[in-house]
Amino acid sequence: MDRDLLRQCLTHHGESLFNTLQCEQTENPDFQAVASDLAKATYERRGAGEGCSLVEQFIARKADILFCPTWRTAVPREDELEDEEPYAIMPPAELFMEVPFEERRAMLYRDLERGDAVVGRINNIREYGFFLTLLCAAGGLRRDIEDLELSALCHIKEIPSTGSHDDPLSYYQIGDLIRGGVKDLDRYQEKITVSLLPASLCPRLAHIKLGVVAREELPKHYSRGLRVANDTRETYERILRGCHGYHNPSVVEYLLGRAGVSDDRPPSLMRGLQSKHFHEEDFATVIRKKQSASWALKCVRSGVDHFKHGRHVEAMNEYNKALEIDTNNVEALVARGALYANKGGMMKAISDFELGLETCPDHRNAKKYLCQTLVERGKQLQEQEKFVTAEGLYRRALSLDDSYPEAQAALRRITDTIQKSIRLREEATAKETEKAKSGKTSAQKLRKILKDEKRMKKKRKRSSSSSSSSSSSSERPSLSPTSTTSSRRRSKKRRRKRGGSERGSQRRRRRSSKRSEEEEEEEEYPAPPNTSASFLYRQGFLGSGAGRGEGGEEGGEEEEEVVVDDRRISQLYSLSAASEDEGSEPRGGDGEGRRGRSFSSHGKGGRRRSGEGRRRSRGRSREEGRSSEEGRGRSREEGRRRSRGRSSEEGRSRGRSREEGRRRSRGRSSEEGRSSEEGRSSEEGRGRSREGPRAPPPSTSTSSSNGQGGVARPPQPAGGGAGKKGLPANLMDIFNKIAKFEKEKGAGPRK
Amino acid sequence: MEDPSSRTAHDGPPGQVARGGSKSGGPAAHGGPPGQAARGGSNSGGPAAHGGPPGQAARGGSDSETDVTREIKTHFRVCRFIMESGVKLGMRSVPVATACELYHRFFECVSLRVYEPYLVAMSCVYLAGKVEEQHLRTRDIINVSHRYFHNASAPLECDREFWELRDSVVQCELLILRQLDFHVSFRHPHKYLLHYLMSVKALVNRHAWTRTPVAETAWALLRDCYHGVMCIHHAPQHIAIATLYLALNSYGVEMPVGEREWWQVLCEDVTKEDINAVISDLLQLYDMEAKCV
Repeated sequence: MDRDLLRQCLTHHGESLFNTLQCEQTENPDFQAVASDLAKATYERRGAGEGCSLVEQFIARKADILFCPTWRTAVPREDELEDEEPYAIMPPAELFMEVPFEERRAMLYRDLERGDAVVGRINNIREYGFFLTLLCAAGGLRRDIEDLELSALCHIKEIPSTGSHDDPLSYYQIGDLIRGGVKDLDRYQEKITVSLLPASLCPRLAHIKLGVVAREELPKHYSRGLRVANDTRETYERILRGCHGYHNPSVVEYLLGRAGVSDDRPPSLMRGLQSKHFHEEDFATVIRKKQSASWALKCVRSGVDHFKHGRHVEAMNEYNKALEIDTNNVEALVARGALYANKGGMMKAISDFELGLETCPDHRNAKKYLCQTLVERGKQLQEQEKFVTAEGLYRRALSLDDSYPEAQAALRRITDTIQKSIRLREEATAKETEKAKSGKTSAQKLRKILKDEKRMKKKRKRSSSSSSSSSSSSERPSLSPTSTTSSRRRSKKRRRKRGGSERGSQRRRRRSSKRSEEEEEEEEYPAPPNTSASFLYRQGFLGSGAGRGEGGEEGGEEEEEVVVDDRRISQLYSLSAASEDEGSEPRGGDGEGRRGRSFSSHGKGGRRRSGEGRRRSRGRSREEGRSSEEGRGRSREEGRRRSRGRSSEEGRSRGRSREEGRRRSRGRSSEEGRSSEEGRSSEEGRGRSREGPRAPPPSTSTSSSNGQGGVARPPQPAGGGAGKKGLPANLMDIFNKIAKFEKEKGAGPRK
Repeated sequence: MEDPSSRTAHDGPPGQVARGGSKSGGPAAHGGPPGQAARGGSNSGGPAAHGGPPGQAARGGSDSETDVTREIKTHFRVCRFIMESGVKLGMRSVPVATACELYHRFFECVSLRVYEPYLVAMSCVYLAGKVEEQHLRTRDIINVSHRYFHNASAPLECDREFWELRDSVVQCELLILRQLDFHVSFRHPHKYLLHYLMSVKALVNRHAWTRTPVAETAWALLRDCYHGVMCIHHAPQHIAIATLYLALNSYGVEMPVGEREWWQVLCEDVTKEDINAVISDLLQLYDMEAKCV
């Protein structure tokens, strides 16, 4: 209990209140603690009537609330916004009360404080300053002081100088109205000094401008007080109603804020309305939240029911309804995510699960499903050779559940893959340097220097992307057992799900195969002069890690640039090249084998053809590079299916291709003087091509997804030219470089 | 549902239809709007029957009490319900005051036996929200009330019961409007009290003022006085003066004395007797709390 407050109250009410208090608050230990202290003082009794005893009883009964330190919650806000008048600014009440002069004067000296603002009229100017007769208070205290005959001194030091050498006092004349801050107050001698320096005001009044003021600028309470003084009929209420601020619709909120009383947790002296009796869970917002969750859950349940009966659209509608009722409802998000995942929308599923986990980080199903979906998506990305992203997804899955075996296995595999590719890469560079030491023709040396220069430039850029592209080529064998089985299982599953589109894809497949036949026919050219260029291209795709010759390396450089600049397009690009060769070739990784195969199937024209095809596919990749993820996914599936269907035929051609490839490469390598390396690479390629058809082709086989366009498309590079327009500038640049390089190549080492 | 009722209301003088109904005493006796209200009343019997709100118990209370005191007690409880709901709904003080005044004025002209007081209270809260431009959703009002009657129960399902309750509240709102002749906006003491507080504050030493929780106490007293019918029987200025007077008196704040007292200045027509009457009414309400709860 606030002892001082209680004492103040007892002084006012007298002994009787103390007695009542002792009766009413016997059980209050707080009161007992202060009672003995209060009892010492003697209270002179004032006149008490019947009403008074009632009030005393009330005070006594509610004393534990009234004098509780927590009862005083108000933190008054003291901003003076006189210009706007958000509430009725009334003239001082003592003006109406007609309080005697002496009392008012005493009150003023009691209550006026340093830092208040006052307005006065200059009545005398001396060399050390001027004297003011105070008119009114202008901030801090709101009193009627005009007739109190208060004089204040403003010393010359307290007048801000204007910078010139003039006497600052020369700006002021007798009769001027001056607003100043109270600098000092001598309560006993009744002397007031004011200052015109802004620092003299207390901080919350700092916005008030000091100096000469016009009559219109005088405070509202003063001008309204003048009206009262002049017109005896004016009453407080009449002025109140006449005030603009009184009619402000939010005057209650404003004044409550100023008084510091809370309207959210309103005070009450009723025992039952004490704020401690209000529980958070009884508040409307809390109930509404709970209710929304429960209503949403109902929708989710019926949605799950729909889902179980295969009515996916209805299920989705229910889930969406649930989320409309209760945004971020975890159950609805998880259920919808599961539905998305089932439908193959991995990204949407992941985002739903993530959102669900955000609101409820411990939701078991959300975590579990998110793990599974992340791994699933990671596998998709791995197939698309986005190894780094895939690795990130696996890591995210493991961060959610570090004992999730599938994620662990997948992460292990992918780190192996990446590491191996890096190692292979290092080996390759080591070999190169070795070779560089051995004797070389001057042309080779020159080329080498050029190449080194280029590499230095691109070193940083390359590291991630090239490692990923090369890793696939080197790493397939170790991957094979698990990935093949899982991918097969998956593809089977997908096919089941996508049963409806089966026919369409078949048709497309047929068409595309027909097209490839046509192409084969028309591309049976005699061996073109620039075979080395086309070879280089191929080398480039095949990944720079394994099997690079000098020419091949340079080709690889160019390719890598493409890879760096736009991996997605380059993937499409190389892929489409592959798919034109084989229709449904697993890309990248078994490029070596692909090359062999393409050679075998196209005979002599093969090299030329692949070069051709690449150029065209480049154009196409431009045209269709922006094909949606979805379409890609579909065509991927088809490609996989097709590749599986073809596997027997593939096997046959593989045999051939292996031979062919080896023969060819050996021939060439002998030509270029690096037989051992080529031999190894073709060996590798063989191994890869063997497993190629089983491993799902990772990204679009454009030939199938764009079957129609493919047929209608003119077979010659003209189409590529048309597509060029849509390309970003940097890619264009690269292509130009490639073309130049090609030309140079054609003229260079071959001759 | 609404169309025929509003038509009846428009055909004759709207107030008369409703008032006539109330005088006849029984819900079955009149057609049109009161009939609807009766429906609403029966619906609201839903929660009442389940939970047995205090109002029901009071009505079946001991015979020793007179009808008048029983009714006063019921009104006290219903107003307590309005205030508690107001806090839970985040209503400001003025809308709560309007809701209470709507309630009191409604039952000033009709009998407590005819209409279910808690339903009327819910509709009053809803209507007050509209009048004072702090719009409240019926769903929240129903939720809060449901939890009030069925302590710690789960929130209502989105089913027939919920929609019937909602219908009752909305229908009852129309009934209140007709009963009050569409005079639903009142002049409250709140605005006066806050302006008086500003003026009185200027008379007191600022340090003494910050030490003394006069504003909180006066505001609490003003809010509490809506438990009873004081808001109808006293002028808003008088209530404001009286609450401020009591608050100042409670802490023994000394006011300067001139030719006239501070309260005489703030309100011309208030007398010491008026203040004492308001205070005694108010203090009775605090005594009532002990008897009712």
